[in-house]
Amino acid sequence: MADKNAIPKNREWNPDFVGIGVFIIICLMSKANQNQQDVSDETQQVCKDDGIIVMKNITKRFDHLLVLDNVSLAIEAGKTTVVIGPSGCGKTVLIKHMIALLRPSSGEIYFKGDRIDNLSENQLSKIRTSYGFLFQGGALFDSLNVKENILFPVKQHYKVTNHSGSDDLVKMKLAMVGMDGFQNYYPDKLSGGQKKRVALARAIALNPEVILYDEPTTGLDPIRADIINELILKLKSGLGHTSVVVTHDMKSAYKVGDRIIMLHHGKIIADGTAEHIKNHPHPKVQQFINGEVSEDDLAVLRMSGSDLRSQFLPRDFEE
Amino acid sequence: MGESALAAFGSKALEDFNNAGRCSRFIWRGLTGSFKNLFSARYYQLTWNQMNIIGVRSVPVIMVTGAFVGMTLAIQAYDQLAFMGLEERLGVLINISVVKELGPVLAAVMLAGRIGGALTAELGTMKVTEQIEAIRSMGTNPIRYLVAPRVMACLLLTPFLIIYADLLGIMGGFFVSVLQLGVNSGAYWSYSASGVEFWDLSIGVIKGFFFGGAIASISCYKGFHCREGAEGVGQACTEAFVASFISILALNFAMGLIFKAIYNTFWPLRVLL
Repeated sequence: MADKNAIPKNREWNPDFVGIGVFIIICLMSKANQNQQDVSDETQQVCKDDGIIVMKNITKRFDHLLVLDNVSLAIEAGKTTVVIGPSGCGKTVLIKHMIALLRPSSGEIYFKGDRIDNLSENQLSKIRTSYGFLFQGGALFDSLNVKENILFPVKQHYKVTNHSGSDDLVKMKLAMVGMDGFQNYYPDKLSGGQKKRVALARAIALNPEVILYDEPTTGLDPIRADIINELILKLKSGLGHTSVVVTHDMKSAYKVGDRIIMLHHGKIIADGTAEHIKNHPHPKVQQFINGEVSEDDLAVLRMSGSDLRSQFLPRDFEE
Repeated sequence: MGESALAAFGSKALEDFNNAGRCSRFIWRGLTGSFKNLFSARYYQLTWNQMNIIGVRSVPVIMVTGAFVGMTLAIQAYDQLAFMGLEERLGVLINISVVKELGPVLAAVMLAGRIGGALTAELGTMKVTEQIEAIRSMGTNPIRYLVAPRVMACLLLTPFLIIYADLLGIMGGFFVSVLQLGVNSGAYWSYSASGVEFWDLSIGVIKGFFFGGAIASISCYKGFHCREGAEGVGQACTEAFVASFISILALNFAMGLIFKAIYNTFWPLRVLL
């Protein structure tokens, strides 16, 4: 009698397990579908030892929005690679993957031949000291002054005992970006260009091998922008850094870039030297580097023009 | 229609489930981070600063809160007790309520408003201006650098703040009862002393430990996951306060049940102490 009672109980549970199983299978299948690839214009096959940073078949989605679509890219050591593309094309997302601040939905990232995209944050902390990241807005800590900002990464990774030595270090790093004397300023007292230069000094505080620049010249006047360009060139020639610059400023791209990559709708559509890009046959590339409006955008503008014509004129209100 | 409503319900449920999981993981990492920070001298200064901001600077508002709670209780309860000729028992009523329930809960709500909002706004602004990512990019764990000191400061200092609230609540109740309402001072204290046990006082303080942990971890979580822009930060602050408040009330209820069960179980052993 007790056995008979036990059997139906088990049966009651079974459909749930089947349901969960089916759910998992559906999830796996939809995941597999997402991974299907299509080949873009200038995507090359890369191997993990092709460069200091290698991205292999990187795809990134935010919910259902596809931002990077099967991007493969190898960054050569000692060179400056510039990533160009219209706003919102995934440039910043791409550069954040290089230091594993964002993890890819699928694909692999290698730094010096070692895979980094599957490491935990704690394992990454050592690797990230080989990187310097210049954020778009500088991202200086507002609660710390310039000196403390620059010493932040140093204090996090080393025990600072020699305080005059750390003062010298701050002085040296600030002198490199032409900001010596601002040690005791707080970030809110600095202008946009000054903030970026201090942020650059902080990014190079640990003598990184790779410096990643996220839109270094955006929001600066042409002269300040050129100062940043000169700094990028100076750091490269002086210390032999590998640099990756994300920008939509073509003047800056031509000036600092050994190699220029254009990203469009999450794919690489052009890859080569400044000359190669200037003579690239792809209409989107030509349109972007010359800063021209597309026919579609013009059509939209004309539409809104016709709206204006239908509006009232002052004479309509005259008695 | 029915199907889409079901789908909407399902996706909302999944999303809430996800958020709950993320929040729990965040709180767990915050707590383990705080524990690890205890063994790393580099973080002492940070924790010390947060203790100053969170604990020391909250003392005045917490004391004012406590005083008003005690004073109001005295005013409200006096007429009822005097009607039955029991006004000398006012002390028991006020002190039990203040020490066990009103002191801890209202102090925690005050703290949720004062520091919860500040923590969320501070961390939310840091997230929006990419400062948290900057910390990560320099190879530092933002949980240990930003969250753990704040959680630790809240955990350690909320019980002390509750002691301050209790103290001022007791004093406020005493002054209003004795000076304004004319209750006999000696009778007031002797009834209070016989009615309030050490157990009552300690559960109020133990509650503070949990309230502090809940306020800090919820506020930090909301700050870390706030959306872009001024509106995102504002909304995160609102959500942080509401969530802290609700969790304070829920924790208070749960702890009320638990402590009652403990008390009832161990009550016969009390004579041994």
